[in-house]
Amino acid sequence: MTLVFDAHVRLGVGRDASLTAGELLAAMDRLGIDRALISPQERCLAVDHRDGNAFVAEAARRSGDRLLPYAVASPWRGRGALDELARAADDGAVALALDPAVQGFDLLDGQADPLVEAAAARGWPIYVRTGTPSFALPLQLAELAVRHPQASFVMGKSGATDFWIDARPALERAPNLYADTAYAPWDVVLAGLAAPPIGWGRLVFSTDMPNSAPAIERARHDAWPLGDEARAAILGGTLQRLLP
Amino acid sequence: MIDFHVHKPSEGGEGGRYDSRPYTAADYVAVMDELGIDVSVVFTLDGLWHPSPAENDRVAAWVAEAPDRLVAFGTVDPRLPDAAAETERCLGELGMRGLKFHPWIQAFCPHEACMDPIAEVAAAHGAPILFHDGTPPYSTPLQIAALARRHPDVPMVLGHGGLQDHWREAIAAVTGTPNLWICLCGTPNAGMRAVVARCPSQRLLFGTDAGLGAAVSQPFAAERIAEVEQLEIEEEVRAAMLDGNARALLRLEEQVG
Repeated sequence: MTLVFDAHVRLGVGRDASLTAGELLAAMDRLGIDRALISPQERCLAVDHRDGNAFVAEAARRSGDRLLPYAVASPWRGRGALDELARAADDGAVALALDPAVQGFDLLDGQADPLVEAAAARGWPIYVRTGTPSFALPLQLAELAVRHPQASFVMGKSGATDFWIDARPALERAPNLYADTAYAPWDVVLAGLAAPPIGWGRLVFSTDMPNSAPAIERARHDAWPLGDEARAAILGGTLQRLLP
Repeated sequence: MIDFHVHKPSEGGEGGRYDSRPYTAADYVAVMDELGIDVSVVFTLDGLWHPSPAENDRVAAWVAEAPDRLVAFGTVDPRLPDAAAETERCLGELGMRGLKFHPWIQAFCPHEACMDPIAEVAAAHGAPILFHDGTPPYSTPLQIAALARRHPDVPMVLGHGGLQDHWREAIAAVTGTPNLWICLCGTPNAGMRAVVARCPSQRLLFGTDAGLGAAVSQPFAAERIAEVEQLEIEEEVRAAMLDGNARALLRLEEQVG
């Protein structure tokens, strides 16, 4: 039985799209998704980190182990951000989510490094949303990944849209970087990212609910002509392996 | 259904772009039949990097294989002194219905003065101008709106509905510019919902960007059609976006498509 594990969902009330835990679990049931990593809404990425961490931790506790929380904290908070990560870890967090466009930092300004180190020390993968110029780009994330070879990074959105062209060079630059399949058509993007020598072992499935059409995101992986082993890895096996 | 954003496949070879490989118009029309597309608006792909009269001729010839199903748009290098003359040739002699520009690939900003003579020719023909949008530095919706406001008689189209990061800006551009239209093509689902809710329904269009893939079947185009068909909007608005608005903008005869 293939494990289907969604690498990124945002829970809560967003600016233009919202999602409750109940709606998420219903969508997962409908689409055959077993588990999902959940990040809090944009407000909690930007400013209200403690609220966000508590919110996703509670949703995870109520989910019967289907939802797993990301921790969020602002690189601008310095020591306070590390304390927040520790609190989130005690509350069940298993990964770190960063969004330079929403949180307002430069991936290479050094401010995120303590958070990355703290996540790596816990064995957490780090989801970083990419695609927004000028400070949320795949090749910048690849440099951050090179600085931190002990950590695993998920390249959120893989540069969608016009920085898809950078996603493959980013994967080539940093072996500890994994591509997210959200928004990326298999025929014009994903097949190129998965081509040797990178290989399908460096891709992870996400729906990016509620910003996406989740049924389309999920159906893509049935339409893509892949072998069973590759499909299972992309849909969940690889992400499962990255988690502590 | 009218697909307002399709690329003629690359000619391939050293000048080939993306994974596009040559296929015939007849082959693509067969795919359109499978996808439920009546008419496709077709632009160049290779000509975005190397605009030329010869490439406009190739697009016109490709479309001429199925004139009842395919509509051609041309492109020019707006900095060349003969840009207006080539625009006139496209919209006159070649019978093209509009123009397509990809400013960041073609290395100009949409509101630069070099676009004015081209827009004047388009105005004389009542032809729309479609732009790639959603990508800084030189393809943002408000840059395109700035040009549209200088040429209120020319319908201009945001060819990608702001893409991932500029759909809010696209909404502001369209709602503040009466001659600016918006094509949902690569806009994320949350953005599509917001665009449909906030923009005038008579200026909504839909496109797939077909032509970028290697196979004539264009699987990602099918994905985008499925997404717009599943979009939770009023059927009347969907029908306008997928068909009626494009027919009006292109001034298609009823028997076409």
